[in-house]
Amino acid sequence: MAKVKLKLFGLLRIDSGIKELELEASTVRELYPLLLKELRRRDPKCSLEEKDLRACVVAVNDRRVKPGARLSPGDVVCLLPPVAGG
Amino acid sequence: MTKYSGYMGKLLMIDLSEGSEKEYPWTDRDRELYLGGKAVASKIMYDNFTGREDPFSEENLIIISTGPVTGTFAPSSNRFDISSLSPLTGISSSSNCGGDFGFYLKKAGLDALIIRGKSEKPIWIEIDDGKLSYHPAEELRGMRTGETQAVLRKKLAELHGPKGRYGMVSIGPAGENLVRYAAVISGERAAGRAGIGAVFGSKNIKAIVASGSHEIKLHDKEKSMEHHKKWTAALKAHPITGAQLPRLGTAGLVSSMQMNGQLATRNFSAGRFEDFEKVSGEALAEEENISNSGCLSCPIRCSRTVDVDGKKVKGPELETLGLMGANLANGDIKLVCRWNHELDELGMDSISCAGTIAWAMEANEKGLWDNGLKFGQVDDLSRVLEDIAFRRGIGDELAEGSKRLSDKYGGKDFAIQSKGMELSAYEPRRAVGQGLGYAVSNRGGCHLNGGYLVVLEGLGLNIDRQTPKAKADLCMFMQDFMEAISLCGHCLFTSYAVFPGFLISKANSPIPRFVNFIIPHCGWAVRMLNKLPGMAFMNMPLIPYTYELKYAVGMKMNIGRFLRIGERSYNVERAVNARFGVSAEKDKLPKRLTDVLQDPKDPHSRVPLEKMKKVYYRARGWGSDGLPSRKKLRSLGIR
Repeated sequence: MAKVKLKLFGLLRIDSGIKELELEASTVRELYPLLLKELRRRDPKCSLEEKDLRACVVAVNDRRVKPGARLSPGDVVCLLPPVAGG
Repeated sequence: MTKYSGYMGKLLMIDLSEGSEKEYPWTDRDRELYLGGKAVASKIMYDNFTGREDPFSEENLIIISTGPVTGTFAPSSNRFDISSLSPLTGISSSSNCGGDFGFYLKKAGLDALIIRGKSEKPIWIEIDDGKLSYHPAEELRGMRTGETQAVLRKKLAELHGPKGRYGMVSIGPAGENLVRYAAVISGERAAGRAGIGAVFGSKNIKAIVASGSHEIKLHDKEKSMEHHKKWTAALKAHPITGAQLPRLGTAGLVSSMQMNGQLATRNFSAGRFEDFEKVSGEALAEEENISNSGCLSCPIRCSRTVDVDGKKVKGPELETLGLMGANLANGDIKLVCRWNHELDELGMDSISCAGTIAWAMEANEKGLWDNGLKFGQVDDLSRVLEDIAFRRGIGDELAEGSKRLSDKYGGKDFAIQSKGMELSAYEPRRAVGQGLGYAVSNRGGCHLNGGYLVVLEGLGLNIDRQTPKAKADLCMFMQDFMEAISLCGHCLFTSYAVFPGFLISKANSPIPRFVNFIIPHCGWAVRMLNKLPGMAFMNMPLIPYTYELKYAVGMKMNIGRFLRIGERSYNVERAVNARFGVSAEKDKLPKRLTDVLQDPKDPHSRVPLEKMKKVYYRARGWGSDGLPSRKKLRSLGIR
């Protein structure tokens, strides 16, 4: 298990009001239930599901990775719902 | 007159030198071939320019044109174009703008206004129900765009009473002083690119005001309204047009670009900025944004409203955030909001202005030009912007754009422009199809005219960003498709809803992943569709534009025909540019993007431009010189 900083972006951040959290996990995928738990603790009406988080773009230390990517202590994980257009 | 609805049936040509006005001949056949907007302008240039005209000469034309659905209250449909020979690039250029001027130009009874010649003294032009008046504008000289429009509204109230409703376009000091990237401002919207504001200045036109009571008719009102209702609902339900754009605006892309390595940083020397969060869409929403707003009849409402000095003003778009943030190594979003407002007020394009300043910072860093500008040291940039607009000190040189400056001082390899126009905020070494688009784009380094492939390369869909495979075909397809949408008068943002929402919102699910995998293998299909558009003889609910043309305009339309109109528009514009010296040699990017790796460890992190260009010309049916032959033009009905 690695202690990592999880940063939220896009509407995930705007809707939850959470900019960043410190969590412990071995892979990106393991972060999803932990984040969901935290989101629901803060807002019991939170309608997000794990599949919504799985759709997000993930970057570790500013590089895009797949959800199975392994984490190291001190990693910064960014989670961003898909966006388009500009 | 015209048999089609939506159109007003009149293009008016005025000559400011002669003081004459006449109707420009335009038939229903022309409407079927060119629809409206920029294609109309390109055909007029094709018929009138020899290739010897100078952008600042009396022979240059300003063509303000609308589309057939402009003002029909179809969703997001009030766009208009201003086209001219660009003082920045010397070739034909068109700038598309939202707001309400297009609607009022049609209410005044015109589909397009064509201006030739030069007024002896500064004037503002009034078009009231098709009748033109020319008013002295001496007292408006030097005024910023906001003040100009406020003074004009006061004058119009005095002339016609307080209840009049008007659409306006005006220039600021930058246009008057012939800054090569001066913009034309309409309300808070901008026809920003290519320096058309300077062409206004060269003709002594400070502003144009339109109003009138003409009716914009719909062919089948009932079906049109029903279609608008369904389309609006689809836009509101889509994750991009219904959620992301209304809530974060285009600025919402900054974080995604950072993660993809696509955020132009320090004059495109990198694709990631350490302080990106400070100048992101999230920061704008949390710290600066007061509300969102939109153009006339737009359900998307992507525009931000921010506070600058206690005044509610338009907030920055992605391009300004990227190019005045990361690209200048500036992490202060309040400064970006301020400069964005100042640029609008001075009447300047933020993309070219920021690109030129970034080049100047690097030139100073490399000892090529001692100008005092440094990356990250930007507290005094407001003064620099004003100096550019009034052509004072180094501002006088910066007003020329990065190409001319690099011709003078050296540093061409890092002058981030194509055909003289500075690139938008997407770093193309991590979106090579976008890189191709920047290079072959008719008007120069423009993301939209280049086909906006980055939307498939990580900012929407997620096809392989580094492969050149199918990028040439997709570039051609997207250019033609977006061109056709624009010609109607629609906002290009409606096109995001063409992608089924789940492809974007469920990006990691099996079907979207398969779609992203398969697209680079489908170049052949795109090319076949281009060769045989008759194959696409149908209409599809996902592509609402063809229905709109049928119901609102009464024009026979299908997807193949629609794409052909886009292709025709792209080709006629290319044919005009060919007269001004454009060929394959001009379709290029600075060496930084084609020869220098963004990541030294990744041999694919550059734009393999020459390879893609060859395929692109073949796909377009152009010669290896990058130009359409007479036969090609004739096959498209261009005569």
